[in-house]
Amino acid sequence: MTNSMNNVEFVKNLVQAEITPLGVETVDRYQVAFVVAPGDVHHLLLKLRNAGWIQLSYLSAVDWLEENKFEVVYIVFNWDLPVYIQVRAKIDRDHPVIDSVLPIYPGAKYYERECHEFFGVCFPGNPDYEKQLILEGWDDIPPLRKDFDPQAYSDRKFPQRVYTADFSVTDEQNTKLTKRQLRKQRAASLRGGVQK
Amino acid sequence: MKQMKLFLGPQHPGMHGNASVHLFVDGDIIKRSYLLPGMLHRGFEKGMERKLWVNNISLIPRVCVPEPDINEMAFALGAEKLLGLEVPERAHWIRMIILELARISAHLMSYGGLGGPTGHYTLMYHAHADRNLILDIFEKITGARVYHQYIVIGGVRKDLPEGIDKDINAFLDDLESRYLEYRDLGIENPSVIMRIKDTIMLPAAVVWELGVTGIGMRSSVGKPYDIRKVMPYARYDQVDFEVPTSTYSDARSRIDIKLKELVQSISIIRQCLKKMPEGPVRVKPGHGQSMRWTVPKGYVYSPVESSRGEFGYYMVSNGGTNPYRVGVRGASYPQGLLGIEKYMPGTRIDDAALWVDTMGICSPEIDR
Repeated sequence: MTNSMNNVEFVKNLVQAEITPLGVETVDRYQVAFVVAPGDVHHLLLKLRNAGWIQLSYLSAVDWLEENKFEVVYIVFNWDLPVYIQVRAKIDRDHPVIDSVLPIYPGAKYYERECHEFFGVCFPGNPDYEKQLILEGWDDIPPLRKDFDPQAYSDRKFPQRVYTADFSVTDEQNTKLTKRQLRKQRAASLRGGVQK
Repeated sequence: MKQMKLFLGPQHPGMHGNASVHLFVDGDIIKRSYLLPGMLHRGFEKGMERKLWVNNISLIPRVCVPEPDINEMAFALGAEKLLGLEVPERAHWIRMIILELARISAHLMSYGGLGGPTGHYTLMYHAHADRNLILDIFEKITGARVYHQYIVIGGVRKDLPEGIDKDINAFLDDLESRYLEYRDLGIENPSVIMRIKDTIMLPAAVVWELGVTGIGMRSSVGKPYDIRKVMPYARYDQVDFEVPTSTYSDARSRIDIKLKELVQSISIIRQCLKKMPEGPVRVKPGHGQSMRWTVPKGYVYSPVESSRGEFGYYMVSNGGTNPYRVGVRGASYPQGLLGIEKYMPGTRIDDAALWVDTMGICSPEIDR
């Protein structure tokens, strides 16, 4: 377990011998990121697993709405040569399909299911990626997409309550009410600035 | 015989948090099982995208209730990596003290949790009483008992209060003096041993298949695969500690490792209190008003070692005042979902709660 930059260089050479990554970023001496074409992901992950990166630490997606792409992220780790490798691939947002990595990393099963639930990315090859996991009875677009607005969803789903009984105070001498109003005014004057 | 469906949780003495294990049993042998998460889903990841980098500090500790500080640490480390920020030396040591105290508290809670499935509630009362003493220390340091919001981007919120080292040392001495008593109560107790020995095995091949980390992995593989050792963050490379391991992973050996880690944590805190230098504890991550702080573009995965295994935040910034995407890798994700589905069948009903307890399953971090 040597903790030097050489490990990252070793990984870079290992990856570049297999495929030509579209981009390489060195995050720090324990982490390196490769941007690859979606077709290269499985080939690369298989090579990495055989080279010792046997742990799939994380699998998820990032929604790039402006580019109309989903970026699928795989993070793998090797305990004997401590370098985290991010493998990222951009897939089309209108047709978000990428083959499952289940044959390479069996632990990906639930990550892919969750990713499908929250982003709508499809993983053919995973037998139950389409089943619901966390969101029970979800009836909208997948919630972690950038065009999903939680506020609008909540307004639509949970209509504002209307109270029929009138609880307003009619007593003219009500000191509590005036005190409360004063307190509100003071708080408003202290707040200042506009919160985004 | 006909299969019958049973629910373990969300209301069950052996279940930790609001998740439910569905068991299909034939007699008392589990034939099929799966975890039903989602009862604690509050959209943390979406919520983080909608909050400022500074504001998120108040949201992230909620991701794991028994051990909130690792969330703050992973988040702060990730943001600091993106910012290229150097944290003051003293802050690193304070962070380590907080993290190790939190680890002791989480291990005590989990060890006390063993009292539920084995029917030894004395153990739970003892462990929770001691955990309360840690919460008292946290209250003195941070002002809060459970959600501290103490580790922030750029250091820690405030310096340690004066005289706190006395309190911490007194607590550590007290806990250490009763360590053997703890062992006698739980894993050296013959009636508990009969329940936990040779049950819920986790072979090494299975570890790699599931992607289990933390105590589950170390108890089976027998190698010191601990992120604090393998890729030290904060100042873990400057303290001496051992990573207890074993090659035979049953419920008992996993709990044994938990207790041994507790001793190591005590030793780490003592070293921190000795080696800690004086100086500032916080640098500002940006200029001007904190609401306008931005973080440069980039992708980072920041892992830390929690009491249950590798816990990480995947963070993406597009250069704005809010994170663009934050993904949480819950440490109990593999053993909680895939582990229960694949490796629980074949065991007995009463062992299901032992898996949940000894593998350390924290349901909020599965749901987020």
